[in-house]
Amino acid sequence: MIDKKFTALAGVNPPQPEKGILLDAPLANPSPGSISKFLEWFGDLGIFFWRVARATVTPPFEFRELFRQLDEIGSQSLPLVALAGAATGVVLSLEARYSLTRFGAKSLLPAAIVFSVIHETGPIITGLVVSGRVGAGIGAELASMKVTEQIDAVEASAVNPYKLLAVPRILACILMLPLLTLAADLCGLVMGWVAQALVEPLSFHQFINSGFKGADFNDFLPPTFKTAVFGLIIGLIACFQGMRTQGGAAGVGRAATSSVVLSSLFVILADVVLVKLILIFFP
Amino acid sequence: MSRAARLGAFIVLTMAILVAGVFIIGSKQYLFSSTYQLKAQFDNVVGLDAGGDVRVGGVHSGTVRDIVLPHTPGEKVTVVMDLSKSTHEIIKQDSVASIETEGLLGNQYLAISFGSAGKADVRNGDMIASQPPLEMSDLFKKTSGILDSSQQAIQNATRAAANLQSISAKIDGGQGTVGALVNDKQVYSNLQQTTATMNDTMTRAQAGVTDFQENMEALKHNFFLRGYFKNRGYEDSAELAKNEIERLPQGTPTKEFTYSAKQLFDKQDSAKLKNQKSLNAGGEFLANNQFGIAVIVASAGMEGDTQKELVLTEAWAMVVREYLVENFGFDDSQLKTLGMGKQTDAKSDGGWGTVQIFIYPAGTEIPPTKQAHAGLASKTVPDQPVQAVAATAPKPQ
Repeated sequence: MIDKKFTALAGVNPPQPEKGILLDAPLANPSPGSISKFLEWFGDLGIFFWRVARATVTPPFEFRELFRQLDEIGSQSLPLVALAGAATGVVLSLEARYSLTRFGAKSLLPAAIVFSVIHETGPIITGLVVSGRVGAGIGAELASMKVTEQIDAVEASAVNPYKLLAVPRILACILMLPLLTLAADLCGLVMGWVAQALVEPLSFHQFINSGFKGADFNDFLPPTFKTAVFGLIIGLIACFQGMRTQGGAAGVGRAATSSVVLSSLFVILADVVLVKLILIFFP
Repeated sequence: MSRAARLGAFIVLTMAILVAGVFIIGSKQYLFSSTYQLKAQFDNVVGLDAGGDVRVGGVHSGTVRDIVLPHTPGEKVTVVMDLSKSTHEIIKQDSVASIETEGLLGNQYLAISFGSAGKADVRNGDMIASQPPLEMSDLFKKTSGILDSSQQAIQNATRAAANLQSISAKIDGGQGTVGALVNDKQVYSNLQQTTATMNDTMTRAQAGVTDFQENMEALKHNFFLRGYFKNRGYEDSAELAKNEIERLPQGTPTKEFTYSAKQLFDKQDSAKLKNQKSLNAGGEFLANNQFGIAVIVASAGMEGDTQKELVLTEAWAMVVREYLVENFGFDDSQLKTLGMGKQTDAKSDGGWGTVQIFIYPAGTEIPPTKQAHAGLASKTVPDQPVQAVAATAPKPQ
C-alpha cells in the first residue's frame, strides 16, 4: 500500500501531470484550485517525510552512500561557505563601525560583530549558501534519475530508493550544516577582525576577548545547532522535489529551481520560528 | 586528496572551531577553572542578571551564577556568584559586595572590595556583606533636592542683593549717617579740621611737657629744694639701676676694696658722699690696671625697711660709681653696680653697711644688666651670660 502511495507521490501516474511541480501550482498562479494543490503538496511532503524517517531507522543502513554524501555536501561546500562567511564578516564590520561610531559606541564593535556572526549571520548565510549549492544539486540529480527511470530501476531491484537516495542526503545535510556553520562563523570573525584592524589596530586576542565578553553558551550552541534543522529542510525539500519530478529535461530544470527556491524560503521561515524558540528555551 | 581525507580534515577543522568557541565562552563563564561560591544579599539588584560579571578590584574574576528571589516579603534577594580561586587570597570575611553600573547606562556588574589583611578567609558558600546599589532614580531624587536648595539659595542671594542695592541707593542719596559721611563734604572738612586741631594740641602738649621737665630740673636746683636732693646724694631716681647687674660675676676677684658706709656717707639714710677721697685708692687701681669687670657692691645692715634699704644700697653703689667715673680715667662700661639691700653679714659699722669694689680679670662673664628697678625685678639667674670683651690680657701686677 505504501508503495502504491509512493508511486502516486513521485508522479509515476501519468494522469495527474499538473500535480508535479509546485511552482506551477500554489505560489505562481493562485487559481481556485491552487489552495487544494498547496495543501496537497504539504500532505505529500508529510508522507515523504514519514517514509524517509522510517527508512532512516530501519536497517540495513547505507553507510557508504552516507559517507559519499557527507563529503559531497560537507567538505566540498566548505570553500563556498567559508567565502560567504568571510564576506559577511567584512560587511558586518564595515556597517557596524559606521553605525556604532555614529552612536558613540565604537568600543562595542567587536561584540557587535561576534554576536551578529555567531547568533544569526553565520547560521543563516550557511543555510542559504548550502540550500543554493546542495539543494540544486540534489534536486537536479534526483530529478534526472527520476526522468531517466533510474529510481524505478532501483525499486525494481528490491532496494528502497528512500533508503539509498534520500536518507543519506538528508542525514548528510543535517550533520554537515552545523559544521559548515562553525567554519562560516570562524571565517566571519577572522575577516571581521581583519576589516577592523585595517582601520584601527587591534589584536585578535583583544578582539575575541572583548567580543565574547558576556557571551555564554546560549549565544553560541543553540544558534549553531539550529542549522541542523536547516539541513533537514534543505535535504528533505530537495529530495522531495527531485523524486517527484515529471516531464523530461524541462522537469529536471524545474525541479532544481524549485528545490533551491523552496529550501531557501523554508530555511528563512524556519529561522523565524527557531530564533523565537531559542529565545524562549535558551534565554 | 582522497574523499575520506578531505572529509576527515573538514570534520577535524570544524570540531576544532566548536571546541575553541566552547572554550572561549566557558572560560568567560569560569566553567573550566576551579571556582568557589559566595553569596550576598540585596534589597534590589537593579537589573543584575545571572551570568553577569563579578569584578574584584576592577578585574573580571567571576560570574553571577544565580539570583534568587526571597520566599517571604521581609527577606532580601540573594545573589550567588562563582569566583575564580585566584581571588581567594584577597576576599576576606569583611569584603563588601556592591552592584555597579558600567558607565552611565551600561550593564550592571557586581563589585567585591578587598578584605582587610588580618581577617579570616571566606569559605565556599559564605555570605558576605553588601552595600545597597546606587539607583539612577535615587540619584535623580538627590539631584532634584540639590537643585531645590540651590534655587532657594539663589533666591536668598537675590533678596540680599536687592537689600544691598537699596542700602547703596540710600547712601548715594545722602540718607543716614553713612550717607552723610559719604555725601556731605562738610563732615569731611570738619573731620579734617578736627584732626589738624588735635595735631596742633599734641605739639603744644609735647612742648608743655618739655617745659615742665625743665621746670622740674630747675626746681631741683632751687634754693628750697636743693637741700633735699643734696642730702639724698643724687638727683634722679631713674638713674639708680642704670648700671646695675643682677648678681656678682662667677669666679674670684683679683682685687677687692672694702669701705665702711659710715666712713663714706653723710648719714645712714643718705647717699651723699662725705669722705670721697678714701675711694681714690680703688679709683687709681682701676685707672692703672687692665681688668674685665669691676663691680661696686653696696649692702646695708639689718635695720630699716627692706625696700628702702635696697634703694639706698643701689644709690650708694651708683654714687660711688659716679665719683669714680668722673675722677678717674677708665672704660666706665666695665664698672657695674650692685645694690644688695639688707645683708646679715654686712660688715656693720654701727649697722650702716659696707661698700665694696670687686675687680675681676678679663674673660669674666658679665652678668646681664638688671631690667627694672631693684624693688620690682626678681634676682634670677639669666639664661645667657654675656662675655666680657673689654680686655684680653691682664696687666702684670
